[in-house]
Amino acid sequence: MVNLTIDNRQVTAPRNATIYEAAKINGIHIPILCHDNKLKPFGACRMCLVEVEQMKGRQIPACTTPVTEGMIVTTSTPDIIKARKLVLELLLLNHPLDCPVCDKGGDCDLQNLSYDYKISSNRFHDQKFQHKIDYNNPLIERDMNRCILCGKCVRICDEIVSFGALTFIGRGIETKIGCEFDEALNCEFCGSCVSVCPVGALLARPFKFKARFWAMEKKRSICGYCGTGCNLTLGVKEGKVLTTVYDENQGFHRGQLCVRGRFGYQFINNEKRLKKPLIRKNGALVECGWDEALQLAASKIRNGSETAAIATPRLTNEEFFLFRKLMKGIGSENFDHAAGYAHKALTSGFARSLGSAASTAMVNDIQKSDMLLVIKTDSYETHPVIGFEINIAVKDKGVKLNIVSDKNGKLGKLPGARTFVHLPGSETLLINALCSSVIKQKLVSSTAASLPDFKEYAKGIEAFSPEKAASLCGISPEEINSLAADFASSKKAMILFPTGVAYPGHDSELATALANLAILAGKVEGEGCGLLCLPEKNNSQGAVDTGFYPTGKGLDALSVFDAIEDGRIKTLFLAGENPVVSYPDEARIKRALEKLDFLVLTTLFPTETAEYADLVLPASSYAEKEGTFTSAGGHVQYFAPVIPKAGDSRTDFEIISSLIKLTGGEAASNPSEIFAEIASTLDGYAGMTYENLGENGAFTAVKTRPALILPQTQAPALRKPEEFSLVTGALLYHNGTLSQFGEGPMHVSPESYAEISRKDASRLGIKENDTITLTSDSGSMQLAARVSLRIPEGVVFIPNHFSANPVNAIWSGKPVTPVALSR
Amino acid sequence: MNPFTPIIKGLKITLDHLFKKPVTRQYPTERPKVSPRFRGLHALNMSHDKAKCVACYLCPTVCPAKCITVEAAEDANHDKYAAVYEIDMIRCIFCGYCVEACPVDAIRMTGEFELANYRREDFIYTKERLLEKK
Repeated sequence: MVNLTIDNRQVTAPRNATIYEAAKINGIHIPILCHDNKLKPFGACRMCLVEVEQMKGRQIPACTTPVTEGMIVTTSTPDIIKARKLVLELLLLNHPLDCPVCDKGGDCDLQNLSYDYKISSNRFHDQKFQHKIDYNNPLIERDMNRCILCGKCVRICDEIVSFGALTFIGRGIETKIGCEFDEALNCEFCGSCVSVCPVGALLARPFKFKARFWAMEKKRSICGYCGTGCNLTLGVKEGKVLTTVYDENQGFHRGQLCVRGRFGYQFINNEKRLKKPLIRKNGALVECGWDEALQLAASKIRNGSETAAIATPRLTNEEFFLFRKLMKGIGSENFDHAAGYAHKALTSGFARSLGSAASTAMVNDIQKSDMLLVIKTDSYETHPVIGFEINIAVKDKGVKLNIVSDKNGKLGKLPGARTFVHLPGSETLLINALCSSVIKQKLVSSTAASLPDFKEYAKGIEAFSPEKAASLCGISPEEINSLAADFASSKKAMILFPTGVAYPGHDSELATALANLAILAGKVEGEGCGLLCLPEKNNSQGAVDTGFYPTGKGLDALSVFDAIEDGRIKTLFLAGENPVVSYPDEARIKRALEKLDFLVLTTLFPTETAEYADLVLPASSYAEKEGTFTSAGGHVQYFAPVIPKAGDSRTDFEIISSLIKLTGGEAASNPSEIFAEIASTLDGYAGMTYENLGENGAFTAVKTRPALILPQTQAPALRKPEEFSLVTGALLYHNGTLSQFGEGPMHVSPESYAEISRKDASRLGIKENDTITLTSDSGSMQLAARVSLRIPEGVVFIPNHFSANPVNAIWSGKPVTPVALSR
Repeated sequence: MNPFTPIIKGLKITLDHLFKKPVTRQYPTERPKVSPRFRGLHALNMSHDKAKCVACYLCPTVCPAKCITVEAAEDANHDKYAAVYEIDMIRCIFCGYCVEACPVDAIRMTGEFELANYRREDFIYTKERLLEKK
């Protein structure tokens, strides 16, 4: 710590702080336009000029000057005020004074400073700029006439998002912020640039002219898409969520959001939301009252042995806990979530290899590590904000990045990153080969060598020597050895891998193989070490923690559909799931749903699955309910409702609670009581209450008990030369099927496509957007082709988010599906 | 005092007034001439056949009676205009803050003061009604 004096106050600050940061920590305000706490100091705006006695009274920028011991700083003297006024006058010289029509009005740093410094006239005269406004994309409006050239957008796009869409163009007075060749913006549309813009030069178009900043209430919540657990501030007016508001001090990600977090909120107030319970009468769904609906549901599910439940991992911890209680109460063990296999990496893989179904690393470990091993470059698409953390770690902290993936991707473009592209479906094999190589190179940690099952494991893993595995996974033995050595010899190393319905290959075997690798290298626990499973949905980890998956005799989600066809299951309770679109093998799911005696569905929207339902109950979104979500790395966060419930909808908590009462059980009627029950029954949650979770949340305690288990591995079936390997996955703009109801994601990515390599495309004579036919054992479908450089030859990638033309028409749930492709 | 004196005094005043100009105005046949600064019914100013209002929301923000409803929208040129502009005359207290707050001189107050009506909905002055008052 350094001692210094700011405005006659003795203060202390960290050694690496700048004067601006030192002042901010100590509650002294210095005006500034070009600073954001995530970005490196830049010194563009010259508003933060201060005087330092040791520097002969010169005016120096506080944001780029480091503090030194004994520094005497004055932040406001008549001379400084005069200089700041001059800066503002010069900025206002070209800035159009269209505050009445500028959406930034009320939240504008330049407006606020002009007011503070009483700039009511200008001593200078010049013309305003006449730049063309960029309306070419549906999410971000760029009005360079308003730009004050602080460079924040350029820096955030480069330093954190690592896209580099924006840069300074031109010299002197002609300088402006532009895209490549001064053309229209065409990027990932994460909106980070919009969030940091101090003026109205970059604006969110979905929110354009919707409300003034001061008219909205700003309410905190947790993002309801992926498992990252980003904090949100929602702008709410008249019971509607109108926008997301940037707060640089919020969460581990410091307000940074991805495209769906920032622009995907519209599903909350979507007009298609169900407002009343619907009951099937004479073949059609008609509105009914809640009493009738709940009585019917309760009477149908009462026979527990013939009832199954499948929930979406978007429910809260409290809802899962209560739901489990309901199912146990009616005597059913058949309850599951996430297609039954997307959670196996945790519930089966980690549970047997590490002793608990939870990640051993946290998101904060990413930047503290020395080396990251990322399984699938898709980790950026599935969890973009974790992708930003990786970007910062690699570019700012010098963390090494190795990626094992079946295709190339954005993460691989980071400096020094190495991508090992393997044949689709050979992940587990490759990881086994890495383990084998670690043993062969004698890099095994002493703790692993002393494990009782080490000898047996070492013998078993010999079958996966890099030489043998090389041809099966398409990576040379030398590369495997070098990656293994790199991982094992790094002081701190971390493994990240996404799970989800679209990644059936990321199963218990892969998780076990990865756990083995971490155990062998001695990287299971500790700062910057460990395994971080990135679960697909916002509360996937919570669903696992609260035990909403079958154990013992219970049927898992896909077995439930088998059991329906056998007639063993007659009633199905779906909470929020849309299996017709998201689960593998559409035809089989539909067949089973048709055979059901009774299907009750709680949902936000009239989905494709609702067409098969006998009773549809309108549920509430995360913005309308109270509870906790547990995100990747076991971060438990509390959120409160920000808007009233849509129409007559009820939260799943209320619905399940009523059903428990109607089926003769007892249930607490508010989430805080259930959370207290969770805290008292689950070890990881011990001691947590809504009060002490507060704004920062808490991390679940994870106890590890490493064990080396040889994973069951099948060599990927060799495809015939004329066939393609179909792999499914997530898109950056979507998460599950929910984001289809958000306007923002749908503006950028409205429909499904099949992505193939450039070589295959030219071989088959396929051009971008040509319609191609894909045929597999389970069906056939037509999609627009997308030709890309990132896909290896012989592979076709189709996203799994879209209801129109869903991929499960040809995808049977195997990690790799052989498909025939024709024009 | 003579008991008749007050009566005569009274009658004298009455007699005086018979020959004076009447103090009361013969409303509604005789209409008052209001001052230019009178704060009556609002009117939206026009420019080039369009309402000047840019829907900046300053008038609903400053309005102490919260009687102004504005909803902005984007026109074909991506410009901002008021798709909805309503004043609830039952709530309005005719303080004139809206006129003072307006940055583009889009709203003024006219001399119109006859605002009585039979139905509540008739007190809601929509954008069209406010624009009529040229």
